[in-house]
Amino acid sequence: MDSEAARTARDSLELVFHMSNILETGLDRHTLSILIALCEMGINPESLAAIVKELRRESPPSSSSAPTTAKSAVP
Amino acid sequence: MEDDEQRIVDLVKELVHRLLYNAQNPNSSSSTVPARQKYNQALKYSLRILSSRMTPSIISDESAMVESIKRHLVTAGKSSEALTFADLYSKFSLKSGPGSVKNKWAVVYLLKTVSEDLKSRKNQSPNIISSGFLDSALAGGLPTLLENTEFNNNSGGIGNLIKNLNIEEFKDGPDNLLGLGYNFQSLSNMGKLKKNRGEGTLGDYSSNLKRLGDNLSGLRVGENVKTGLKGGVLMVSKDPENIREMAYREYADLVKEENEVLEEVLVRDVLYACQGIDGMYVKFDEKIDAYVLQDFIKVSRATGILVRKLCEIGWLFRKVKGYITETMARFPDEDVGTVGQAFCAALQDELSDYYKLLAVLEAQAMNPIPLVSESAHSGNYLSLRRLSVWFAEPMVKMRLMAVLVDCCKVLKGGAMAGAIHMHAQHGDPLVNDFMKRLLRRVCSPLFEMVRSWVLEGELEDIFAEFFILSQQVKAESLWREGYQLHAAMLPSFISQSLAERILRTGKSINFLRVCCDDRGWSNATTEAAAAAGTTTRRGGLGYGETDALESLITEAAKRIDKHLLDVLYNQYKFREHCLAIKRYLLLGQGDFVQYLMDIVGPELSEPANTISSFKLAGLLESAIRSSNAQYDDPDVLDRLRVKMMPHNTGDRGWDVFSLEYDARVPLNTVFTESVMSRYLQVFNFLWKLRRIEHALICAWKTMKPNCVTSQFFGNLPHAVKLQLILTSRKCQVLWDEMNHFVSNLQYYIMFEVLEVSWSNFLKEMEVAKDLDDLLRAHEKYLYSIVEKSLLGERSQNLNKTLFILFDLIVRFQSQADRLYEGITELLSRTTGSSFPSRSITKSQRKSNNKSSEPGSWLGEGRKDLTRHAGEFLRKMGKDIEKIAKEYSSVFEGFITQLPIQQHVDLKFLMFRLDFTEFYSHLRPSTGRKL
Repeated sequence: MDSEAARTARDSLELVFHMSNILETGLDRHTLSILIALCEMGINPESLAAIVKELRRESPPSSSSAPTTAKSAVP
Repeated sequence: MEDDEQRIVDLVKELVHRLLYNAQNPNSSSSTVPARQKYNQALKYSLRILSSRMTPSIISDESAMVESIKRHLVTAGKSSEALTFADLYSKFSLKSGPGSVKNKWAVVYLLKTVSEDLKSRKNQSPNIISSGFLDSALAGGLPTLLENTEFNNNSGGIGNLIKNLNIEEFKDGPDNLLGLGYNFQSLSNMGKLKKNRGEGTLGDYSSNLKRLGDNLSGLRVGENVKTGLKGGVLMVSKDPENIREMAYREYADLVKEENEVLEEVLVRDVLYACQGIDGMYVKFDEKIDAYVLQDFIKVSRATGILVRKLCEIGWLFRKVKGYITETMARFPDEDVGTVGQAFCAALQDELSDYYKLLAVLEAQAMNPIPLVSESAHSGNYLSLRRLSVWFAEPMVKMRLMAVLVDCCKVLKGGAMAGAIHMHAQHGDPLVNDFMKRLLRRVCSPLFEMVRSWVLEGELEDIFAEFFILSQQVKAESLWREGYQLHAAMLPSFISQSLAERILRTGKSINFLRVCCDDRGWSNATTEAAAAAGTTTRRGGLGYGETDALESLITEAAKRIDKHLLDVLYNQYKFREHCLAIKRYLLLGQGDFVQYLMDIVGPELSEPANTISSFKLAGLLESAIRSSNAQYDDPDVLDRLRVKMMPHNTGDRGWDVFSLEYDARVPLNTVFTESVMSRYLQVFNFLWKLRRIEHALICAWKTMKPNCVTSQFFGNLPHAVKLQLILTSRKCQVLWDEMNHFVSNLQYYIMFEVLEVSWSNFLKEMEVAKDLDDLLRAHEKYLYSIVEKSLLGERSQNLNKTLFILFDLIVRFQSQADRLYEGITELLSRTTGSSFPSRSITKSQRKSNNKSSEPGSWLGEGRKDLTRHAGEFLRKMGKDIEKIAKEYSSVFEGFITQLPIQQHVDLKFLMFRLDFTEFYSHLRPSTGRKL
């Protein structure tokens, strides 16, 4: 039963990851799984999206010297 | 709850970590102090964001969301990816049970928002390169978390530097912002998520903030993009989409204020009303006979009108449904009829289509109605407006049905079909198709009746719906009265002539079956059906196939009629019987008539009440046996009877005697009683004519000059002789005149009338196609005989004159008889006195008379005798003169009346009678006219 649940969860994650790729969100599996878990807890997806947006904006400038090019390169 | 919150915080930490150090080496970056600080600030900021937005700004609708994503992909030119996405999503949404994602919508929405954000950033990138923080300020307001002090004075974020906020910039509501800032701070310090559990302050503030944003956005957005650094204002107007959503929410509030009831609920109620069920707010009002919104519901005027309009279909539905149930309920008892039933079934079918539509609509009504937002044009939700579009076509149909129900309420059978047919004459193809479909169903019982009537002769019409009525009648009147067209039940798509043909065909079959006892017609009908290309099975015909129907009728009629005539001609020998009637009733068989006249003559001179019809029948029998009639068909002779007409006192046998011909079934359809009575009329006339002729011949027998009388005349005294010759001469002249008239009249009747009519009749019999033709031909035949024989209505005067003439001739005959009796008596007395012995031969007597005793006659009593004879002759002469005078005056009347008659043939009679122009010379006035 547990393995069944795990398999379903894995499949779901995989599907979401694919969708995410199609939509070019640039999120990896791990991040997605956290986001899904948060959504499951009833967190407003809009807020989550906002966090993702904000923090992503934060990281590129600190990580690369050419933020604009990096940003456009991500998706 | 605590666990949950702790878990959320943990997850958020993890998330922030992942996002911040995604691209870098996590181990190295987390250790540095600035990175640490940055991490903490990011975390705080995240938690604050999470606490700020309690509910999504749009209503959760997964399918609408997915639709929207797909459309975006398609418009971006990635249709294959859109397909893949749809496929993935469908798989994803199928996942259920343990381990699956429950809040799928949230996940999808998250993905969508993130991806849209990326895209918009891509588009806006030229504008935001000036500062790495510009976009962040625009989007969420996280300007001062980094150590970029150069921005501190200007940015004025809500974070730690909220006190640096330039208050003058917020003339509209700095307090709110300030308070909000503090509130936020305290919340973030607590590090906990506060759900909106009764606190309300956050909600209030955020809504205030939104209003502020609305107010300012118009002014500031452009400015923001350029200068970018306007603090709190920037925060509330973070992106245009959000503004729009806020506006929508405002609109929703407005709508909610105006309408107490949600549109979804109204849609559901309308759907109920459309099924004839009262909804929560929309109920049927008996008083005004319509579905209405309850008065206490506050809705906008437009909505009210829309609901009322939509509910029309409910009213119509109620009407149609009511009719169906009512009809079905009284079906077995009262005469609804099969057509009515079919009509109900067809309506029921149409309604089931309507039910299907309603089911689909109801399923759609389950979907919530989104506001006029981006995703609104996708998804299968149902608003009142959409409903009005859905109902456009069913409304037309329902209206039609209601109209039909109204007009058919009192009708049934063919009349109903006709009424519906009238409505089918419509230019709109939708209406036309609908009516055709309906009519096909409605008319099927009717066509079935036609089919079984035409092919089997059966009238399966329990409810009197068919346009043919049957009556229980005797076999002989079956053809004429047994079946009739019922004009009221004749649907207008069957023409009158076609209906008549249908009637005749079925009638023929019934006639064959009932009267002719014939079974051969079934072959004819199968043949006809095969020729017409239809089957003899049920349901072979339908509405709209008028051509097929017509060809079937034509074929069937052709064959059935032919078969019927064959049966009549061959099996029942119609022609032979007609001939027999002509021979015996119309006195065509001369020797028979002569003989009959001879032997029944004495009998008929008796008073009518003393004559026994049995004796006459015996005499008829012997007349047949002694004439050529004996070689005729015994069946024919068997039918010939003597008939005594009802008689008054003083009638002679001549007046009541007649012959009768028993036609029997089925020929009595042609020779009905009325026809036979006309034959009888003709017979009586002809019989009288014959009798007159016979009488004249008898008179001639006695009065024709012979040796005996001429010799006898010679011996008479001069005065007596002169008188005798004079009288007998008068008598001869009159006889001759009468004979001329009678023989010409008889010639005319026999040849000009009877034979000509007969030959015409034979010709028409040849070309007759059906029994009706035959009947018509026979009718014409009989009519022409009656008319030309001066027996018709128009020639009544002439006929009366003729009968007076006949009477005069009869009187003349008896007068002449008496005269010659007297003469013979005179003769016998004179000869008897001179020749006592009567045993001597005629020739001897003659010679004796002549030679030996010429003077003995003049012996005793001679004077007396002469005086007697003179007196007698004078009297007779006077009588004859009187008759002659009377005769010539009546005859003159007859002659003058003759040309007035319309018949051409009477001209021939006139011509014959007045061949020498004797009569026209007598009366120059009429002579000239001729």
